[in-house]
Amino acid sequence: MPYLSEIQHRRIVDQGGAVVGKLVDVAIIPKEQFPAVQWAVVGGPDGERTLRWTDLEPAGRQYRLVQGAGGAGAVAVELPPEALRLARDLLDKQIVDTHGAKVVRVNDLQLEDTGGQLRLVGADVGLRGLLRRVGGEQVAERLAGIVGRKLPRGIIPWHLVEPLEAAQANVRLTVPHQKLALLHPADIADIVEEMTADERRAVFEQLDIETAAEALGEIEPEMQVSIVDDLDEERAADILDEMDPDEAVDLLQDLSAERREELIDLMEQEESDDVAELLAYPEDSAGGIMTTDFVALPRELTAGQAIERLRELQPDPSAAYYLYVVDAEGRLDGNVSLRDLVVARPETALAEIMNPNALRVRADTSKEDVASLIAKYDLLALPVVDARRVLLGTVTVDDVVELMLPRGWKKRTHRSPAR
Amino acid sequence: MTAKPHPRRIRRFRLRGNIRLLLLVLGPGLVSGFADNDAGGIATYSLAGARFGYGLMWSLLVTMLALGITQEAGARLGLATGQGLAGLIRERFGVRWTGFAVVVMLAANLGTIVAEFAGIAAALSLFGVAPQISSVLAATFVIALVARANFGPVQYAFLAVGLAVSVAYAVSAVLANPDWGHAAVASFVPELQGSGVYIVTLVGVVGTTITPWGQAFIQSYVADKGLGPRDLAAARLDVGLGSFLTNLVAAFIVVACAATIWTHGGSIESAADAALALGPLAGQSATVIFGIGLLAASLLGLAVVPLTSAYFACEAFGWESGVHWRWREAPVFYGLLAFFVGFSALFTIIPGLPLIEVLFATQVFNGLLLPIILTFVMLISGDRQRLGALAGGRVLQFLGWGITFLVSVMSVVYVLSQIFSWS
Repeated sequence: MPYLSEIQHRRIVDQGGAVVGKLVDVAIIPKEQFPAVQWAVVGGPDGERTLRWTDLEPAGRQYRLVQGAGGAGAVAVELPPEALRLARDLLDKQIVDTHGAKVVRVNDLQLEDTGGQLRLVGADVGLRGLLRRVGGEQVAERLAGIVGRKLPRGIIPWHLVEPLEAAQANVRLTVPHQKLALLHPADIADIVEEMTADERRAVFEQLDIETAAEALGEIEPEMQVSIVDDLDEERAADILDEMDPDEAVDLLQDLSAERREELIDLMEQEESDDVAELLAYPEDSAGGIMTTDFVALPRELTAGQAIERLRELQPDPSAAYYLYVVDAEGRLDGNVSLRDLVVARPETALAEIMNPNALRVRADTSKEDVASLIAKYDLLALPVVDARRVLLGTVTVDDVVELMLPRGWKKRTHRSPAR
Repeated sequence: MTAKPHPRRIRRFRLRGNIRLLLLVLGPGLVSGFADNDAGGIATYSLAGARFGYGLMWSLLVTMLALGITQEAGARLGLATGQGLAGLIRERFGVRWTGFAVVVMLAANLGTIVAEFAGIAAALSLFGVAPQISSVLAATFVIALVARANFGPVQYAFLAVGLAVSVAYAVSAVLANPDWGHAAVASFVPELQGSGVYIVTLVGVVGTTITPWGQAFIQSYVADKGLGPRDLAAARLDVGLGSFLTNLVAAFIVVACAATIWTHGGSIESAADAALALGPLAGQSATVIFGIGLLAASLLGLAVVPLTSAYFACEAFGWESGVHWRWREAPVFYGLLAFFVGFSALFTIIPGLPLIEVLFATQVFNGLLLPIILTFVMLISGDRQRLGALAGGRVLQFLGWGITFLVSVMSVVYVLSQIFSWS
């Protein structure tokens, strides 16, 4: 996938290989989501001419005029008034956010060849784009590699950008919030991470609470903190209510003590109790990373009653990896999987089908140990108990997956080509 | 959903309100003009008077016209586009040239910031304060300013002191009984000399009056305040008045120094020497008045130049800027400010640093880099497509390019004079 700065200034040759000019600019009509490049502006000794993009074919690091276009005398066309020239009208322009506050500049434009069509897919507003323009991307990448870091990418997908009339020099970043809400929370997180603080706040003010909570959970911890600091308290507390308690706690732990208390006070009673309980454990222990969202079933229930109970509870998928069987005092007796529950006869007692030797850890176990247990026994979740074996919570595999991966791996796969 | 007013927002507007109110009353041209007579300005004009008497008076008249014209060109850019100079350079010339412009601007401004630090050190040295302490005080001042201290009244105070010192120079110049006839003639008839010192002083005078940061400041001021093409007349008046007052004060400083130091064959080696120019008015208290004036001038400069520089770089590359951001949110902006302050503070505490010479040298440095920034300004200000009716007319273009050409020649001559070490 080329960037505009990489194809700009490429030479244009005719069929015989003689140079007829160079590519000055390309033009699109900003109608579709990812508009196709339709025209090429070619600069030659006698000024600029506009050609159809289809009159050019790539030939190594050059472009060749296709047969029939007729060499140097290729048919020049008029650029329609609604067309945008990428280099002239977009490159280096400011992208302002929806409040009109200044944001970033378009350092480069990302194009992608999809099915023989070159399309504009994103605006590069990151450091990489700047470096690429001055020809220093590779060098900088190598330097960053030496100190063991990667240069961050900063690309805003094109469908979130809306160019204003060419007369005004700005490009407006519109985040059509309805559209954004349709994306996967992890994708929202990616996009939001490239935004400015003001814009991020606007997004989190307008997303529905559930999506906001999920997206917030996917964002880098540092940025989470600044978002939650910026939101008004009520809104922040609502989002925290909706987050998994363990994620909410991770976030709260990074806030200032004052802000943390303020938010916990505003949270729903039930959620704030959970959170307060979890906050008591050190951040890197099983207690600190566990969630209190789990399903505990009294041992007296039958399989049929248990299934009925699950229908009422409607637990999150991650809370239903294992169902825990507890006695009257909440002590963990064993676990049972959904499969066991479903295949058992409805009148069988849970105590009969449960696995009484379920692995469990204490709240003060280090999270590394938890991770290695989960990895070793291929578990999806691990229950956490106190000294009296009372079930406190569970650590699910997604809470520790980052500990099991090589550093930086998760971040890298984030930038999937899926968009 | 209805968003509650955001607590940080409110604070931001209150902060802006103060500075806006201040600048609304005074006008950008006036502020920029007064900040022009900062530590470097006072030192350079004093040296000009002490070294050559009335010999450089003509250059004040020329730089007054030049300042008015270049500031008007800058104001027009801001009025027409609502953007700062860095943004326009970026959109017109692309990344590489922008990088070049930013490096030039930051280098010149770093010099100016060092000068403000040196000015504070020189001023406080008159009261027996060691440069190390002055450095710390100056650095604290910038940090307090950035940390959203309520700055309005303090800035008024500096301006008032600046004004008072200007008046003190005027009165002192009159009391010193100068050769008014000579001064008047010298203002219109250049007394050219070919010596290296003459050339370097000339570069300093130009460099301290017309500055790279002044160009960035006037434009972003006009743009930030949301002024538009309709305000051209007001902006011209403001710029004209600012240029006139700046150079009127400069002329009084030169005359006062000429009548007191130059006529007696003295020279300026330290702040105490420069203070002698205020002798006819203040006698023994001249040192105190000079010290206070130099301090106020330096602080006013410090309130403007570091922020202007950081805004410039961030605007060019689309990085977040502004004191309403947190450190994490605008790392480059605050990083640059920290660098300016740290570098200047460390530089000023070099033992035995000749403060007055540093003050002067930084203005020469500004003068040498000025042609580059002016070239950018003039190239953009001729762009009718971009500026519409506000593009400079033929006369303004001609004068602007003439000034750019003259300062370029001046810089080249200076560099040649250094290479062949004329003296």
